[in-house]
Amino acid sequence: MKHIRNFSIIAHIDHGKSTLADRFIEHCGTLSSREMAEQVLDSMDLERERGITIKAQSVSLEYKARDGETYLLNFIDTPGHVDFSYEVSRSLYACEGALLVVDASQGVEAQSVANCYTAVDQGLEIVPVLNKVDLPSAEPDRVINQIEEIIGLDGSDALHVSAKTGYGIDDLLEAIVERIPAPQGDPEAPLKALIIDSWFDNYLGVVCLVRVFDGLIRKGDKIRVMSTAREFQVDEVGFFSPKRTPWDKGLSAGRVGFVVAGIKDIDGAPVGDTLTHAAKPTEQPVPGFKKVQPRVFAGVFPVDADDYEAFRDALGKLRLNDAALHYEPEVSQALGFGFRCGFLGMLHMEIVQERLEREYNLNLITTAPTVVHEVTTTSGETIMVDNPAELPPNGQIEEIREPIIHASILVPQEHVGPVIGLCEEKRGTQKNMQFVGNQVSLEYELPLSEVVLDFFDRLKSASRGFASFDYEFRRFQAERLVKLDILINGDRVDALSIIVHRDHAESRGRDVTERLKEIIPRQMFEVAIQAAVGSKIIARSTVKAMRKNVTAKCYGGDITRKRKLLEKQKAGKKRMKQVGKVEVPQEAFLAVLQVDNK
Amino acid sequence: MTLQAATYADTPAPPLGLYIHLPWCVRKCPYCDFNSHAQRGALPVDDYVDALLRDLRMAATAVPGRRIESVFIGGGTPSLFPAEAVGRVLAGAADLVGLTADAEITLEANPGTLERARFAGYREHGVNRLSIGVQSFDNDALAALGRIHDAAAAEQAVDAARAAGFEALNLDLMYALPDQDVTGALADLRRAIALRPGHISHYQLTLEPGTAFFARPPALPDPDLAYTMQHECQALLAEHGYRHYEVSAYAAEGRRCRHNLNYWRFGDYLGIGAGAHAKVTDAATGRVHREERVRHPNAFMQRAGTEAALAGRRAVDAGELPLEFMMNALRLNEPIEHRLWEQRTGEPWDTVGPMVAAAADQGLLTDDGTRIAKTARGALFLDDLLALFLPDHA
Repeated sequence: MKHIRNFSIIAHIDHGKSTLADRFIEHCGTLSSREMAEQVLDSMDLERERGITIKAQSVSLEYKARDGETYLLNFIDTPGHVDFSYEVSRSLYACEGALLVVDASQGVEAQSVANCYTAVDQGLEIVPVLNKVDLPSAEPDRVINQIEEIIGLDGSDALHVSAKTGYGIDDLLEAIVERIPAPQGDPEAPLKALIIDSWFDNYLGVVCLVRVFDGLIRKGDKIRVMSTAREFQVDEVGFFSPKRTPWDKGLSAGRVGFVVAGIKDIDGAPVGDTLTHAAKPTEQPVPGFKKVQPRVFAGVFPVDADDYEAFRDALGKLRLNDAALHYEPEVSQALGFGFRCGFLGMLHMEIVQERLEREYNLNLITTAPTVVHEVTTTSGETIMVDNPAELPPNGQIEEIREPIIHASILVPQEHVGPVIGLCEEKRGTQKNMQFVGNQVSLEYELPLSEVVLDFFDRLKSASRGFASFDYEFRRFQAERLVKLDILINGDRVDALSIIVHRDHAESRGRDVTERLKEIIPRQMFEVAIQAAVGSKIIARSTVKAMRKNVTAKCYGGDITRKRKLLEKQKAGKKRMKQVGKVEVPQEAFLAVLQVDNK
Repeated sequence: MTLQAATYADTPAPPLGLYIHLPWCVRKCPYCDFNSHAQRGALPVDDYVDALLRDLRMAATAVPGRRIESVFIGGGTPSLFPAEAVGRVLAGAADLVGLTADAEITLEANPGTLERARFAGYREHGVNRLSIGVQSFDNDALAALGRIHDAAAAEQAVDAARAAGFEALNLDLMYALPDQDVTGALADLRRAIALRPGHISHYQLTLEPGTAFFARPPALPDPDLAYTMQHECQALLAEHGYRHYEVSAYAAEGRRCRHNLNYWRFGDYLGIGAGAHAKVTDAATGRVHREERVRHPNAFMQRAGTEAALAGRRAVDAGELPLEFMMNALRLNEPIEHRLWEQRTGEPWDTVGPMVAAAADQGLLTDDGTRIAKTARGALFLDDLLALFLPDHA
């Protein structure tokens, strides 16, 4: 066990985590260069394109250190986005140390700070690493200063590397062996293994990535998933080299590897849960397990109603691999049959949407994302409402509570003014403000609904792209919230309803009706767009009737251009949705999202 | 022989027109998306005419035994060509295909001084209708449109045409010009009407892809203002006896353009010259074919007379016929006989029946069982009406 080192990497997107992982694999020689495709760990196309990791993965490497001993380095790759912070915390729990990788010219970002705090809280040894030191723009001293002031780590022994050129990788591997403690645990005790991640494989069923704390897990064992008490027979255990390598001696305390146990669905092996032996279970599971709750909801509808079945199948397949994805059927008067989907956050939503469109070839309309509200009705019942259209009528509502998050923002001093302005506008409450060198660390409590609206984009423009942001859910809090409905030619469009603060209802109503006026094309008749709270109209706009739609000049001999024009118009209409007699383009259903940033 | 072909053989071949494209202009106008090329140095007049005749010889093989009822010489600026050259092409048409005795022969002309001097020659060589590209009588508007003539030149051109013996005259006029208001559009139209041409083409300036205006759009009247202009101009034209017979065409009694009518009635036409389009119904099978010549004048001159001069040739699928037919026929304000569809396409009326019914449901046209006619609403929303005839896959 003293020759094992379990570690993960904390890094902001683009700070070079995947490249660094590749260098480790190369240096330890587990793959020939021919097999060494760029960035082996990020296996999904989307992950590679976006430079982010969604699923935790791991690789076990044999490293011959300068002391002559051979060490087993288990690198656990962690998801790199706030939406997946629970998965990150589980990955970190499985490690004794973490490399804090910071781009030597970009400096520390809020995301890394948050994850670093989690790692420190869990007692991990943090090894600061400055990456991209070969770039002319690198400022190692400034960044070390940031590490010390913002995170409070000793930056004097930070390693300087270039994952791209390989500079400093040997010293870094050496530092992992020297500075990160070996795991502890009792190989003779009852089995206690943490599920770091799990995913569905078409041939194997569910594969669990586990960290064994106590005991030994081997092929043939009868195991129990502690939260559900469901029991399974282990078919295979092993590790990733990064290729999946079965290991019949099993995984003993301190080790990281995979377990395949005939688990048919992803809920059978929830991330963060504990595996133990059915016959001789451990007394205490690994602490900190919680069931992942979706925080952001949106209606997702096939553009073509004929795609409904295919859409349902695709969601089912994605769900196999993504326990955080929730969905249930939804019927919208405007958009037809679809699903109400629940996501961890905005990125998770975008990823699911992109995968559905790309991998399953579906053309989808997604409504504006909303958060879940806790509602106490006049009859004393408490209900969770994830769809504004389903909010009970005003008279039946005793109290509405909205989710509040705690946001951490890091921003250079010169941009702090606009960022504070943005947080105030978004109904934020300042909790802390700290000047750290040139950076300001801001802490705010904000309604999650304001964050899903357009906060990321606004924050970026308010800080010229320099602010970074992380958040966590805090609580539900009562507010004066109302449902804002949109009517098109008198028809209430359920998919356009939103829940807003009473004080913002008029201005949001005006913004949305004005925006819809720009988006909805002129039709053969006048189109009235109204915003309403209850039965009261609070804003309206009008799309004037088109007077004519005829191509003046048609060169008689050449009809091809005219035909192409008509075909293009028809294709455009096909993508529109019918509300009463009005043709409404898809962008309209996101119009409620993009406000006051004209 | 298939049953359909046998049926078709009973119906007479559609009337035949000939379109001749002369692709050069002194310079390219910023709104123009036709196949035109700025003139550089002397035009290769003889070479181009030789090429046209080779091209026509090839084209003629598709229409044995048929005679041309109308010719349209368009461009470009055909009036850059000397009268003798035009005469050679027309003589070729008579020789290689044959012209009916009363064939309408139109030439597009610009109002420049040099062009005017050629009018008498055109008339002598058989041209009997002139279409003059006036566009506007407002000198500022003409400058904005990149035109090289002024209002006075346009009026002199009409006089010159009359002096040369042309009775059939068309004036091309545009409205919704940069900075134009309703008064300006009506003033332009009044000056055109004062010249008493038999035919006025009055169309809205639109920004077409691939033009200078499309890349750098000028400030144009908004759609509501353009509609008002159209509405008031139509009333003025009607008041002066010009019948609105096609989307953008108005004619005095007996002065409708037969060549264009043949397009709208889904007749056949040969198309020769760079970038010219043709539509010919195959005599044996009754299938409609479309052809397009290569666009560049040099490429055309090199390849004319061989298949290589064709940029494309295809038989129109049955599924595309409803749109192809209606896109033309419904531009006309006259009612369309069901029989015309059957004669021109060889398809039974049932093929378009459901589409026509859908359009009637929307109040865009009426169908009395033998004829269909656009409603006033259908005329205003012609693009929406035509969309109902698009094949399902589009």
